[in-house]
Amino acid sequence: MKKFQILFISSFTAFIFACNPLEVKELTDPNNPSQESVSNNASRRQIQFLVTGLEQRHKGYVTNVSQAWNTFGREIWYLNASDPRFQTDWLGQAGRLPDAAYFGFGATGGGSYATPYQAIKQGLILIDAANNTPLLTVQEKKAVEGFSKTIMAYQYLIPANFLYENGIRTDIKDPLNPGPVRSYTAALGFIDSLLTAGYEDLNNAGTTFPFTLTAGFNGFNDINGLKRMNKAIAARVAIYRKDWQGALTALNLSFMSLTGSLTAGPAHTFAAPPDGFNPLFYVLDANINTIVVVHPSVLADTTQGDARVAAKFHKRTAAVTVTTDATPLVGTHQDKRWSVNTAPMPFIKNEELILIKAEAHAQLNQNTDAVSAINIIRTAAKIGNYTGASTKDALINEILYQRRYSLWAEPWGHRWIDARRYDILNTIPTSFDKGTIFKQFPRPQAEINWDLYDAGN
Amino acid sequence: MKKFYFVKFLLALLLFIGVIQAEAQVFTASGTVKDNSNGNPLAGVSITVKGTKQTTTSNSTGNFTLNVNSKSAVLVLKYVGYKTTEVAVNADRANLNVMMEEEVNSLKEIVITGLASSIKRSNLANAITTVSAKDLMGTTQIQTADGALYGKVAGANIRMNSGAPGGGINIQLRGLSSLTQASAPLIVLDGVYINNNTQRTGRASVTGAGAANQDDGANRLADINPADIENIEVLKGPSAAAIYGTRANAGVLVITTKKGAAGKTVISFGQDIGIGSPLKMMGVDNWSEAKINSFFPAARRAVELSRFQAATASNNFVNYEDYFYGNTATLLNSRLSIRGGDEKTKFFVSGSLTDEGGIVRRTGFERQSVRANIEHKLSKSVVLSVNSNYIRTNTDRGFTGNQNNSGASIGYNIAYVPNYFDLRPINGVYPANPYFAENPVAVTDNGINNALVNRFIQSFNLDVNLFKNENSQLKFRVNGGLDYIQNTTKVYLPDDLQYQRGQANPGDVLVGKQESTNTNFQAAFVYDWKIKRVNFNTQVGLVRLDFKNNGLFNRGRGLAPGQVNIKQATVQEVESQFESTQSDVGLFVQKQMNFEDKIIGTLGMRMDKSNTNGDANKFYGFPKASLALNLANFDFWKIDAISQFKPRVAYGQTAGPVPFGATFTSLGGVNIGGLLGATVPTSIGNTNIVPERASEIEFGFDAGFLNNRILFEATYYVKTTLDNLQPLTLSPATGVVNTTSNEAEMRNKGFELGLSGTVVDKANFKWFSRLLWWKNDILITKLGIPSYTTGAFGTGLGTFLVQQGVSPTTIVGTPAISPGVFTIWGNAQPDWTTSWSNNITLFKNFDLSVLTEYRSGGDNINLTTFLTDGGGTTKGWFDDTNGDGIPNGRQRDPAPYNNAGRWVQDATFLKIREVGLYYTLPKESLNKSFGKLIQRAKIGVSGNNVFLATKYVGYDPETSTFGAQALANNVDVAPYPSARRLFFHIQIDF
Repeated sequence: MKKFQILFISSFTAFIFACNPLEVKELTDPNNPSQESVSNNASRRQIQFLVTGLEQRHKGYVTNVSQAWNTFGREIWYLNASDPRFQTDWLGQAGRLPDAAYFGFGATGGGSYATPYQAIKQGLILIDAANNTPLLTVQEKKAVEGFSKTIMAYQYLIPANFLYENGIRTDIKDPLNPGPVRSYTAALGFIDSLLTAGYEDLNNAGTTFPFTLTAGFNGFNDINGLKRMNKAIAARVAIYRKDWQGALTALNLSFMSLTGSLTAGPAHTFAAPPDGFNPLFYVLDANINTIVVVHPSVLADTTQGDARVAAKFHKRTAAVTVTTDATPLVGTHQDKRWSVNTAPMPFIKNEELILIKAEAHAQLNQNTDAVSAINIIRTAAKIGNYTGASTKDALINEILYQRRYSLWAEPWGHRWIDARRYDILNTIPTSFDKGTIFKQFPRPQAEINWDLYDAGN
Repeated sequence: MKKFYFVKFLLALLLFIGVIQAEAQVFTASGTVKDNSNGNPLAGVSITVKGTKQTTTSNSTGNFTLNVNSKSAVLVLKYVGYKTTEVAVNADRANLNVMMEEEVNSLKEIVITGLASSIKRSNLANAITTVSAKDLMGTTQIQTADGALYGKVAGANIRMNSGAPGGGINIQLRGLSSLTQASAPLIVLDGVYINNNTQRTGRASVTGAGAANQDDGANRLADINPADIENIEVLKGPSAAAIYGTRANAGVLVITTKKGAAGKTVISFGQDIGIGSPLKMMGVDNWSEAKINSFFPAARRAVELSRFQAATASNNFVNYEDYFYGNTATLLNSRLSIRGGDEKTKFFVSGSLTDEGGIVRRTGFERQSVRANIEHKLSKSVVLSVNSNYIRTNTDRGFTGNQNNSGASIGYNIAYVPNYFDLRPINGVYPANPYFAENPVAVTDNGINNALVNRFIQSFNLDVNLFKNENSQLKFRVNGGLDYIQNTTKVYLPDDLQYQRGQANPGDVLVGKQESTNTNFQAAFVYDWKIKRVNFNTQVGLVRLDFKNNGLFNRGRGLAPGQVNIKQATVQEVESQFESTQSDVGLFVQKQMNFEDKIIGTLGMRMDKSNTNGDANKFYGFPKASLALNLANFDFWKIDAISQFKPRVAYGQTAGPVPFGATFTSLGGVNIGGLLGATVPTSIGNTNIVPERASEIEFGFDAGFLNNRILFEATYYVKTTLDNLQPLTLSPATGVVNTTSNEAEMRNKGFELGLSGTVVDKANFKWFSRLLWWKNDILITKLGIPSYTTGAFGTGLGTFLVQQGVSPTTIVGTPAISPGVFTIWGNAQPDWTTSWSNNITLFKNFDLSVLTEYRSGGDNINLTTFLTDGGGTTKGWFDDTNGDGIPNGRQRDPAPYNNAGRWVQDATFLKIREVGLYYTLPKESLNKSFGKLIQRAKIGVSGNNVFLATKYVGYDPETSTFGAQALANNVDVAPYPSARRLFFHIQIDF
C-alpha cells in the first residue's frame, strides 16, 4: 500500500511550496496608526487629529490636579472610602510627607507631572508634523505652532508648580536625552518666553484658525481669540513671576472684560463616551462614599450672603463620613457647580483675570484701581463694595480671600499656589483633619532613576 | 479492581494443575489479555512459553494463540508498563483470560521528549513528571486540570487565585522565567498549542477595581474536561523543554487525552454528587458601646448607638461572613465515555456535564464537553488520528475582590458593615448601606458577572512509515490542530442599586465578545537505525504556530429598569476593541543515541523566529544536550538491592515570546467634543527587542531499590534567564513613560526530591506512598536599569522590589529607610514545599487515597485585614494588647505602627488536598443482580481541600487579587473564599 505514502508525501510537498510555512508576516499595528505616519507629509486630516489629540491631552491633568491640589490647599476633601490613602496620604495625616513615589502620583508623578508633559510632547509632535508637510501654508503652520505653544506653556505650569523649588526640565524634545533640571524661576521665565513665541506665531497666522477646535474654545477659535487666551495665561504666569507690570500689559491684550461675564473663558469640554464625563460632577445627595466635599474651613470663612457660596456649595441631606486611622472626616457640603456631567470646565476665566488685575495694581500700590477691580468681584458676589483698609497688605489679603471663593476648586489648586506665593501655607487650617500642609513634591522617582540610568550609560 | 478475580482464578488454576498429571503433549494455548483496572484488551503483549523460544504477541483485540510442546507449561506475559505475569496452562485448560496489572513503579512508562518521539522513563535524562489519569482525577473530582496537579509535581508552585468556581490558577515551574509575563507554562494538548490565557471579563472595570488583571477571571485550561486526560507530562524547565523553543521558558505541560482501544466496547458512566462549604472563615468582630464611641466620629455616635441598642434588644446581629459565604454549594458531575474499536479503527467518545455551584449565592460553574478521539489505520503503514472536542463553559463568579467606589464586592463592602446593621431586604426593599457605597446583598441578588465560552479543539496526527528494514526505519509524521474560543462576558449592575442611583447614569452593563484562534502545524521525519549495539533516533522537522485574538467590549450606562441590553442604555459606548496576530516558525533537529539502555545521550537544536520580535526574520537558536547512564544495566553492577541507578545531566535553552505590540510606536485614538483625535503614545516601541531566553542545567540521579519497588529521584537545577523584558521608565518629563528593555537577568536554583514505593504489598493490604520535596531560590543577577518597585498597591501597602542582588519576590514597603529605599518586610516565594501521597488498597475492594501538601514560608500581602481594620470588623479589633488605650485595629505591629509591614503575613500552610475512599463491588454480586450487563461498579466518597491548617489570617493563604502574575501573585483583597468539597461517587462500566 505505497499509494498512501506517495499521496501524503506529494501533497505535503505541494503544501510546503504553495504556502511557505517558514514565512511570517511583518507586523504592523492592526489597531492604530504609527507615530511615524505623521512625521512627514501628513495630510490635513492627520494634522486635525493631532490638534484634537492636543485638546485631549490638554485636559489630562484635570482629575488629579483638581482632587489633589485642592486637597493640599484645603479647598476640598476628596473623600474616598474605598482607599483610605486619599485621606491619610493626601492630607499628610500622622506627619506623612510626599516622597518620590507618593500615593496617587506614583513613580512618574502621574496626573500632576507625567500627564502635562504628555500634552507638551503632543504639542511638539504636532508642530513638527505641521512644519513637515507641504500641504499647509506658512500662515497655517504658524497658527498651529502658536496654538500649540500656548497650550504647552499652560501645561508646563503644572509640573513647575507641583515641584516648585525642586525645578523641572524644560527641554524635552529627545526622549532619550532630556535637558537639565531648571529652577522654578528659570522655568517660569521659559514658560513666559514660550507664550511670547506663541503669540508671535499667532501674529503671523492670519485671522482664522485653520483647524476645528471643540466647543470649549467657542469665542477663542480664531487667531484673535487664541491670542487673547495666550495673553490671559501670560498674565497668570506674570503674577507667579511677580512681574506686576507685565501682568497688566498681558491683561490688556487678553480677553479680560470688566463688564463682561465673569465666567467667560476657554474651557475643557466633556461629553458622554467616546468622550469623557466631567470628573468633578457628582449627583447631588448621592448615597455614595467617594465624593469631593467642601472643606469645613471654606464653609467657616464665608461672608454672609455670598452668592458664590450659594452657587457652588450644596448642603447634603446626609453628611458623608469616612473614617481613617487618624480621624474621621465628615463632609456636609458638595460641589454644585456642574449641572450635568457633560458641563464644560473653564481653565482660565474672566473672573481670575480681574483678580489678577486687582493683585497687580495692589502690588504696584495703585490702590484705587485695585479696589475697583475687587469691587467688580464683590458686586457680582452680592457682598457689597470693599470697605477695608487701602494698604497693600490689606488689599492683598482681601484679594486672596476673594480668590478662595471666586476660584474655588478650579482644576488648578489656586489656594495652595496662592498661599505658597505669599508664604502663608501655615495659615491653612489642619485642625479638621490632623494633617500636614505640603509645600511641594520631590522629583518623581522615575526622574531620579533616569538620572541614575543616564549616568551609568 | 479486577485483581481479586485474577487471584482467585490463579488459585483455582494451581489447584487444577496439582490434580492433573503432566504428560508430554502438544496443544495450542489461546486467550485474551486485558488490563485489570479497566478491562481494556492489551495489544502487543509478548507471550512466551517459559523456558522455550516460542513467542507470540497479542493482537489488537488482545487475543493470542501459541503452540505449546508439552502437556502443561507456564506462559510469561510481558508488556511495557505492566507487571510481568506468569500463568500456567495445560491442554485441558488451554483458553485463558489473563488480566495484567499496571506496574506501580513507572520506570517503564513512555515519556514524550521530542516533538516527534518518545523515550522510556528509565532512559530519561530529565526529571519529567508524568501525572496519569489515576493520579490526576482518581481520588476526587476537581474542576480544572491545573487544580488537579497540586502536590503531584515536584518543582511546581501552584496558586489558586481565588475560590470562585470555574478555575483561575497560576502554575509556576521552577521559579520565575520572566519579570513581566505570567511565567506560566506552555500547554500542548494532543499536539495543539492551546490557549490558557486569562481573558478579560470586565468585572474590574464595572466595579472600579482597575485593569483586567483584577477581574478574577479563569485561565482557559478550565474548559478542558479533566476526566478526558490520559496523562500530563510536565517539562519543568528549558533542559527538558528546549525542543519547544520559544514559549517554553516557563516549562511545558504536554497533555494527552484518552484513546480508543481495540476489543469489546466499554461504556463507562460516572456520577458525582457533592457539596461545597467554606474551608475557613476569618471571623468578624462584635461591637460594644465603648467600641462605637471609640470608632465613630462624635456626630455619628448617637445614631450608631441607637442601631446597636435596637439590635441588642431584638438580638438581631448578622454575621455577614456566614450570610454571604456560608452557603452550601451543590456539586454535580456526570460523565459518559465509550471506548472501543477493532484492528483498524479505535475510538474514544466522551461526554461530560459539570454543574457546580459556589458558596456564594448565584455563582457557579457549568461545563459541557463532548469529545471524539478516533484513530484509523489507512494502511499497514499509515495511521491517522483525529481528536475533536467541543466545550461550553458557563461561569458565574459573582462580585468579590477589589473594587473602587462602586461597593460591588462582598468582602470589600462587609469589611465596613457592623454586625448590628441589617442589610437584608425587607419586603424586597434593600436598605441603603450607611457604611459603604452599596448594599452587597442587592449586588449578590441582582448583579451578573458571567462568562460563557464556546470552544472547539481539533487535532490531527498522521503517521506514515515510509521505510522499514531490519536495522532501520523512517517515519514521517505530520500533525497539528486548531483551538478556537469564543468568549462572551457580561457584567451587569442594575439601575436600582444604591451606588448606581447615585450616578448620573444609573445601571451599568459591559458586554464583551472575544475570539481567539490558535492554529499549529508540525511536520517531522523520524529515522531510527541501529549500528551494532547502538540505537539511533534522529528527527528533523518544522513547526508553525499562528495566534489570532480579537475582542469587542460594549458598555451601556443609564439603563432602563431591569434591562441588560445596551440599546436600553442612555450612554452607549464602544468600550474597547482590539485585534492581535502572531506567527512563530521553528525548525528542529534532535539526535538520540542509546547504547543498550546503558548510555543514552541526546543532542538537539531548535531554531525559532517570530514576528513579534524586533527582527521578524531572525532565527534564534536553542540547543539542548543530555546524558543518562543506567549503571545498573552494566555487567559490572553487582549490587542486587539497587535495581536501577541512573546519574543524569541535561542542558537546554528556551525562550519567552516578545508580547504583541512591543515594537509599535502608535498613535492613540481619542474622541473629544465630537472630534476624532490622535494622541502621541506614552510608550515607545523597541524595534530591537529580542525574546527572553532561559538556559538550564539540571543534574541528578534516579535509583530503584528492591526490583524498583522503591524509587528515589533527586534533581538539582540552575536556570538562568537573560534578556528579560521589563519596562525601562524614561524621564516622564519627555512625555514618554517607558519603553521595553531587554536587559534583566535572573537565576533560579532548586532541588527536587521524590521518594516513592510500595510499602506493603500483601494480598489484603497494599500501601503505596510517595513523598515529594522541592524548593527554589531566585535572584536577579543583573537589572541593567535602576532598581524599582512594582506590583500590588504601592509602598504604603507593600510592593515588590526589583533590584540586582535580591529576589524579585521581595516585599518592601514603608517606612522608607532613606529616600526611595524601603524596609524589606518579606518574600512571596515559599521556602520549600512538600507533598505526601498515600494509596492503600484493603481487602482488594477498598481503595483509600490521601494527598497532603505543606508549603513552608512565602509571605502574602493581606489587604483584606487592611479593609476590616478600616471598618472595625477584624476579629479582636477593639482588643488592646499593649494596653496603651489605642485598639489593636488602629495600631498594628510591627512598631513603629501602621507601616506596610503590618499587612505582610506568613502564608505557611498544610492542606489535605485530596482524600478518597472507594469500594469496588465484587463481580459475583454484580453478575447476580445484572447478569453480564455491568462489567464493573465502584462507589466512593471523596473530598477536595478538606483540611487547612495555617496561622495566616485570611480565607486561604493561596490567593491572588491580580490573577496570574510573575510577581504580585500573592495579594489578598477580599477574595472569594475557598470551598471544602465533599463528594459521593458512582462509576459503572458496561
